[in-house]
Amino acid sequence: MRCSKRKLISPYIDGESNEDKRSLLESHLNGCRECAREFNELQKIHMLLAGTETFEVPHGFSTRVLANIRAKEKRRSADFVHIFRTLTEGFAVLLLIIAGVILGSFLSKNLVSEKGSIAASFSLRVFAPVPQDSVGGVYLAMTEAENEK
Amino acid sequence: MVNANKADDLSLIKRFKAGDISAFEEILRKHQEKIYNLCHRMLGNAHDAEDAAQDVFVKAYQNLNRFKPEASLLTWLYRIAINTCIDYRRKPFFESLFKTSKEGDVFAVDQLSDSPSPDRLYESKQINDAIQLALSRLSAKLRVVIVLKEIEGLSYEEIAEVLNVSIGTVKSRISRAREDLKEVLKKFREQK
Repeated sequence: MRCSKRKLISPYIDGESNEDKRSLLESHLNGCRECAREFNELQKIHMLLAGTETFEVPHGFSTRVLANIRAKEKRRSADFVHIFRTLTEGFAVLLLIIAGVILGSFLSKNLVSEKGSIAASFSLRVFAPVPQDSVGGVYLAMTEAENEK
Repeated sequence: MVNANKADDLSLIKRFKAGDISAFEEILRKHQEKIYNLCHRMLGNAHDAEDAAQDVFVKAYQNLNRFKPEASLLTWLYRIAINTCIDYRRKPFFESLFKTSKEGDVFAVDQLSDSPSPDRLYESKQINDAIQLALSRLSAKLRVVIVLKEIEGLSYEEIAEVLNVSIGTVKSRISRAREDLKEVLKKFREQK
């Protein structure tokens, strides 16, 4: 079973223990071989990590970041222009449709007022009588004769 | 450490919010080393570290206007960096297949044959690679606390602020990370 004082080791190494815990661990390490061995190993790892070198930032890193930001800003404004253009085109098409509907209803109103009603405009009476000698007249006369048979 | 230059950072942010873009360049030059190093330790190689660190500063630029002055700028940048590195790790597998390596890179997990041999573990010129290899064996959750503590030199309180967890959680994660590192290094020694 693990020693209950073992959890004091890591904060001690990090300098995050209060005075009481520090002296408690220090006196404990004198009597507990298991904790003393653990302390030495963790201390070694701590020294190893603390001694690692710092990686040097690649040459031109900040320039590349700023160029990247500018490119993204440009792309964003280009996207905005594209959205604006699409919206304008859509709006123009919508305006044309509305204008067409208004014009259509205006013209149909005029037609109704001229001929009385829409139904009347579809009646055969609106057509002028067919002249007797025309091809249409001959055709109609033949059809009537056929129907009378 | 995080709070050391807070006043200086706040004046830079104030200038940036007023439209002075050069203030961002100063922020970038001031913090790039810490952010790049954190990304390098988290991702294990220079190529990914540069990509991720670039992303961090682009995100910072886009969101700096929303930065709350009561927080520390470096804490905020660390937080963006950690999230970026975790997301970077989630990139599709096929992308890593076509990734080219540069001289000096350590692909700790993917290229074990190129990693330092265990018998040279404690030799000074190999220490950095060995540490990188050992860190890569830890889970991201444990890796980040040990890097922030041991390499970036943050206090428990500062780490808790960066990760938005309690100090108790930081304490137990650091302890577990050390235990895991000890086991990894022990295995290296046994391979001698």
